[in-house]
Amino acid sequence: MKKRELISLFLIICLALSLLSGCQSHVNAPAVTGEEASGETGSGRAAETARLVDTLKLAGGTDWGMPSPYLHVARGPGQAKMRLVFASLLEKDETGDVPWLAESWSFEGNDYSFTLFEGLSFQDGEPLTTEDVAFTIDYFRQYPPVTNTLGVGESFIIESYSIVDDYTITITVKEADADTLSNLGSFVILPKHIWENVEDPYTYNVPDCLVGSGAYMCTGYEGATGSYEFTAFDGWVNGQQAAQRILFVPVSDELLAFENGEIDIASMPADLKDKYMNDPEIGFVEKADDMGYKMLINFEKLPEFLDISLRQGVYAALDRQSIVDNVFRGMGSVGSAGYVPESSLFYNEDVVKYDYDPELAKEALGDKGFEISLLTDDSADGISIAEIVKNGLEAAGMEVTVMAVDSAGRDDRVNKGDYDFAIVGNGGWGNNPPSYMRTLFSDKSKYLSTSPASMGPRGYSNEEMTALAEGQLKETDFEKRKEMFKELELLVSEEIPLIVLANQSSYSIYRQDYYDGWMKTYAYQQAEQNRLSYMVR
Amino acid sequence: MKRICLIALALMLLVLLFAWGVLFYPMDAELPSGGSLEAPSAEHWLGTDNLGIDIFAQISKGFFHSLSIGLATALAAFLIGGVLGVAAGYAGGKTDVLVEFLINLFLSVPQLPIMIVAGAFFGQSSLNIICIIAAFSWAPIAKQVRARTMSLRRSGYLVLARSYGGGLWYLFKTHMSRDIMPLLAISSLAVTGRAIVQESSLAFLGLSDPLAKSWGLMIARCTAFKGIYFTNFWTWWLLPPVLSLVLSTLLLRLLTRALESYWLEKE
Repeated sequence: MKKRELISLFLIICLALSLLSGCQSHVNAPAVTGEEASGETGSGRAAETARLVDTLKLAGGTDWGMPSPYLHVARGPGQAKMRLVFASLLEKDETGDVPWLAESWSFEGNDYSFTLFEGLSFQDGEPLTTEDVAFTIDYFRQYPPVTNTLGVGESFIIESYSIVDDYTITITVKEADADTLSNLGSFVILPKHIWENVEDPYTYNVPDCLVGSGAYMCTGYEGATGSYEFTAFDGWVNGQQAAQRILFVPVSDELLAFENGEIDIASMPADLKDKYMNDPEIGFVEKADDMGYKMLINFEKLPEFLDISLRQGVYAALDRQSIVDNVFRGMGSVGSAGYVPESSLFYNEDVVKYDYDPELAKEALGDKGFEISLLTDDSADGISIAEIVKNGLEAAGMEVTVMAVDSAGRDDRVNKGDYDFAIVGNGGWGNNPPSYMRTLFSDKSKYLSTSPASMGPRGYSNEEMTALAEGQLKETDFEKRKEMFKELELLVSEEIPLIVLANQSSYSIYRQDYYDGWMKTYAYQQAEQNRLSYMVR
Repeated sequence: MKRICLIALALMLLVLLFAWGVLFYPMDAELPSGGSLEAPSAEHWLGTDNLGIDIFAQISKGFFHSLSIGLATALAAFLIGGVLGVAAGYAGGKTDVLVEFLINLFLSVPQLPIMIVAGAFFGQSSLNIICIIAAFSWAPIAKQVRARTMSLRRSGYLVLARSYGGGLWYLFKTHMSRDIMPLLAISSLAVTGRAIVQESSLAFLGLSDPLAKSWGLMIARCTAFKGIYFTNFWTWWLLPPVLSLVLSTLLLRLLTRALESYWLEKE
C-alpha cells in the first residue's frame, strides 16, 4: 500500500473512532427492559398495566445529571428524576405522609418501625427486603448521597436499626424530632446486591447504577441534550403508574412546544395569563411564591459587611419591586426580609420591612469605595435581576461587575465560597413547613449539602439564630413550632444574614382532556417534580 | 467609484444616526427610563425592553460596541496578517514554512467551536472577544499578503533596489506598500463586518460581558423571554437589533466588494 493510501486509511480510522467516542456520550442506561423485569418478578402484573396515557412529555434540554442517588444535580429537577427511579419508604400527598415502599409505619420514642409491601422488587427483578433498607442506611452513613435527609458524620440521625423480618425494620434515631419521620421516609433504597461491591459511588456510572426501586425505570439518558426517558416498571406493587413512558425532550421554546403538542405541561408566561385562563381545555397548577431569589454576601471575603448598617444600605439600594414588576411581569412578591414568603402559613407579618431608599443607600455605602463582583446564573431572569441589583448598588456608590455562569457553575462557586455577592434562585420557598430555615440559618446545618436550600450566609455566625433554627425541630406541637419559625424570621429580618430579593409565582398549564393528574403535595408545589403526579390516584 | 460613494454615504448615515442616538437622544442605554415593554412612541422611538430600558438607546450604543470590537479586531488582524504575510513572502525559507504552517493551521480548524471554548475558558469580557476573533481573522489576510509579496519580490525594480542595499522597511515603504496596503485595507474591512457578526454570535451564546449593550445579547435576552412569540413585544424588541445587524454587515460587505472591484479595475 502506498504511503498516501496508508495516511488516508489512518485518517478514516481516526474519524470513525472519534465518531464512536462521540456516540458514547449517549448513555442508554437501563439495565433491563420492562418486559425482562416483569418476567423475572413473575407477579403477573404486566397484564394489569392499563395506563391512563401512553406517554407524558415534558420540556427537557438541561442536563440534570444521571438519575442515580450519587450523580444527579442537587436541584429539584435532578432530584425528582432520581426519585422516579429510586423509591423511598414513604411519599407525601396533599395532606400528609402516605405509603410508598412501606405499607405501614409506627413510632415510639426514638424507635421508628416500617413494614414493607410484600412482593417488592428492584428493577432487575431481585427482591427488595429490609436487608436492602439496612444496607442503604449503612452505605449512606459511609457515602452520603447528593440528596441526603439522614445527615452526615456526627449529625447522622440514625443510631442503629434492627431487622425484624424480611418486611419489617425498626430504626432507632439519636433524637426524635418533628422532621424525623419525614427524613426517614425520604431516603431512597439502593439494591444491596449491586452497591455492596461499589467502593466509589461518586464515579459509579455504569448502567447498574440506575437499577432502582422506584415506579419508573430510566430507559434513556443523554446528558448533552438533556433528554430522559422513563418507562413504567411492571414489577411495582404500590398502585399503578399513570403513563407508560415519561419523556423529557429538548425544546427550543417551551410554550411553542406546548402549543404544538410536543410537550404536555409547560410553565405559563405571565403575559399570557388571560389567553390561557379563558381556555376551558387548559388546566392549571398554581405555584404561589415558590421560586425565590436571594443575594448572598460572602462575609469571609467582605468582612466589612458584618456591619449591619451596610447590609441595611444594600436593602435600601435595591428596587426589589421592579424585579417583581419587570422580571416576573407582576407574578410574585417582594421578598420578605424574614425569608419565608408572604403567602406561607408560617409567614410572620411583623418582620422588618426594608423600603427602596436610594438616598439612605448612598449614605450607608456611598463613601466606602466598594468594588465587588456579582455572581449570577446565565438565565434570562438571573441576568435581568443582576442588572437591577447592579444598577441599584452602583447608584449607591458601589462598583459592581456582573459575572454570569451556568446554574451548575454558579452553585459550585457558591458552595466553594468563590464569590463576593451571589444571586441564587431556587424553587421550594413555599415548602410547608419551611424546613430550609434550619439549613440556611443554623451555623450547625448550613452547607452540609450542596443544595441551594443549604446555601446560607458564609462567614456569618449567630448563636441565637442557630438555637432557634435547630430548636424548632425538637418542637412537635404544630402551633408552638410555627411560633418558633416566626421568631426566627423576625430575627433574620433584623440581622440580615442575607438579602431576600423576590419571590416568583407561576402556573403550570396542561391539557385537561389528555392528562389531569398533576398534583401538589402539602410540602411541595412543583407538580412536575412530584412522583404522585405520575401515578393513577 | 460612484457605487463606493453611495455605499459609504449610506454607512455614514447609519453611523450618524447611531451617533446621534448615543450623544443627543435623551434616553439612557443602561438605566430604565420607562415602563416594562412599552410599545414604540414619540418618547421611546423603538419602545422599551422588559426592564424598561430604551431600545433605540441600546441599539445605538450596541452599534458602537459592535463597531469598536470589529475595528479593534480588524486592526489586530491587519497588523498580524500584514507583518507575517510580508515577512513570509519576502524572507522565504524557514520563516515562510513556519508562517505558511500557521496560516494553514488557523484556516483549517473549525472556528466557531474553538471560539466558544476559548470564550468560555477565558471569561466574559470584550477584550477577550477581540483577542479570540482576531486570532481567527489574521490568517486569510496573511495568506493574500504573502502571495502578493512573493510576486512583488521577483519584480525587476525590487530586485534592483535590493541589490543597491535597500532594507526590508525601506523596500516596503518605497516600493511594496503601494501594492500591498490596498489589499490589506480591503481585507481588514471585510474582517470588520465578519467580526461584528461573530461578536454577536458569541454574545448570543452568553460568552461576552453579560450586561454589555450588544446586539447579540439583546437578541439573546429577547428570545429567552417566555412566550415572546405569542405577544407583539418581539416586533420592537427583537426586530431592531436583527435589522441593525443585517444592515450594517450588509453595507460593510458591499463596500468591501465595491472597493475590491475598483482596485482590480485600477490595476
